[in-house]
Amino acid sequence: MGMLDGRVAIITGAGRGIGAETAKLFASEGAKIVVNDLGGAVDGSGAAAAPADEVVAAIRDAGGEAVANYSSVADYDAAEGIVKAALDNFGDLDIVVNTAGILRDRMVFNMTEAEWDAVLDVHLKGHFNLTKYASIHWRSERKGHYRLINFSSVSGIFGAPGQPNYAAAKMGIVGFTYSCANALGRYGATANAISPGASTRMTDTVPEERRREGSNIGDSTEEDPQRSPANVAVPLVYIASEQSDWLNGQIVGASGYELQLFNKPAVIRQVRGTERWTTEGAAQQIEELFKPAVGGGGGFYG
Amino acid sequence: MGMLDNRVAIVTGAGRGIGSEVAKLFAANGASVVVNDLGGAVDGTGGEAGPADETVAAIRDAGGNAAANYTSVADYDGAEGIIQQALDDFGRLDILVNVAGNLRDRMVFNMTEEEWDAVVAVHMKGTFNTTKYASIYWRANREGHYRLINFTSGSGLHGAPGQPNYAAAKLGIVGFTYSCANALGRYGVTSNAIGPGASTRMTDTVPTERRSRGFDEDSETTVDPRRSPANVAVPIVYIASEASDWLNGQVIQAMGYDIGLYNQYEIIRNLSSNEGWSVERAAEEIERVFKPAIEGSRLFG
Repeated sequence: MGMLDGRVAIITGAGRGIGAETAKLFASEGAKIVVNDLGGAVDGSGAAAAPADEVVAAIRDAGGEAVANYSSVADYDAAEGIVKAALDNFGDLDIVVNTAGILRDRMVFNMTEAEWDAVLDVHLKGHFNLTKYASIHWRSERKGHYRLINFSSVSGIFGAPGQPNYAAAKMGIVGFTYSCANALGRYGATANAISPGASTRMTDTVPEERRREGSNIGDSTEEDPQRSPANVAVPLVYIASEQSDWLNGQIVGASGYELQLFNKPAVIRQVRGTERWTTEGAAQQIEELFKPAVGGGGGFYG
Repeated sequence: MGMLDNRVAIVTGAGRGIGSEVAKLFAANGASVVVNDLGGAVDGTGGEAGPADETVAAIRDAGGNAAANYTSVADYDGAEGIIQQALDDFGRLDILVNVAGNLRDRMVFNMTEEEWDAVVAVHMKGTFNTTKYASIYWRANREGHYRLINFTSGSGLHGAPGQPNYAAAKLGIVGFTYSCANALGRYGVTSNAIGPGASTRMTDTVPTERRSRGFDEDSETTVDPRRSPANVAVPIVYIASEASDWLNGQVIQAMGYDIGLYNQYEIIRNLSSNEGWSVERAAEEIERVFKPAIEGSRLFG
């Protein structure tokens, strides 16, 4: 008996890294998997069938069920085909895991339009594209225990200075996840976001001195099991299972051997007026009440 | 003496609503203002000079300095021209306020590609476009108290169900703001985001029964001064001033007469292990530790 017996999952970006580990672990827990991967480079260029095919072969060799799909999640029309691949091959769709992503790191003052657009297209629009077509199915079937599992990042949550495009996309995904959590609950779908930490070919592109302090992220070629993307897949099995109906609209961290729950946005200091503040009055209130709360800095990355 | 004497600001979307009030209040506090507005409809279509011109006229009638700009912030090349206009007309740039926005509300399962793209292009890419060119100038001229003031929304912070595109764009802007806060501090720039609440033509498009409590009247008909977008502009003057160097990477609520500070993201529950988790043990621990922490947490509205 697996935790995902009889369930059908689409996993994007499943040809390598975290996506591949998630696909293989889900299959070993009994899920039937659409292994989606464009097979491109980390920067999103190029395409190849091999990464998705290799993961499908590994799943089948282990006795699991999987089919490959090579569409780009950034292609709105093709996303419908990814959902259709699940319905045609396995007759249903219970779980969508949006792992597919790329990087184009650059400081904001040097970033090109193409670098901005490419990252937003794959991460943010890719999440929307697949979610839209999955949610159409979920809304019409209403069987319940549907799972939308999106991928955020500490880059967005804390604001990596050299990744303005990726930070924007990854927090945009959180906003999208919150919206879906509130919109799709009535149809039996939960929506959550994962903040992963592992060594993959994506983190290999970040210069060593800029990797996040304390994250213990080395190169993916190193053999520290704590840095394996396989760790990230483990809590996703529970989130994808029928048991997790209570978990909705949250950010869950899966980094190395750590499992984390993030807070949600909330107002922590507030001044209330009975009439419009004067600019001087507002200035005084903000300095008196907010300045101690942000500790003179706040929000800095690393 | 105004709090913004001798400072130069660009305010996008300044032809109407919150942007217009920000531009006028900045000018009243001594700033010279580039009033940028495409003059389009709420959904982003169309364009006309009228709204930007009207705000400029109002500022000049009150004795202030302003110049109009009609470029779409969604136009990457056009954004360079907006920054250039501040330098050409007023000789410098201290403050960038990214207010410009549009709406295309739809549930996710009914949303078209065009509705998604239009909102992400104006809000997210528009905020990037102007920020990129402003940050080039700020990095080259490091003596300032530069201010990047972006606009987020409760829609993104809490996840409005009928606005998947807008929610994504608006929380995406927070991620972008955090990144800029960490990237540009060394050049004398602070980056913050405003979560506004007011009745404007944007909120007029939201069905009455779905509006937040206290914001259920149309902007054209309401006489409740609490709902005026002018309230939102007030705390932004301080954030734009040289006095706010300490405030960076924060989300500030400006809603009616309330001014709030949002929390930062942090990990509130952490399960550590010395070895890889088994699937079963991870499931048990997530239920045991995370479930009580989120019970009773509110959904949107």
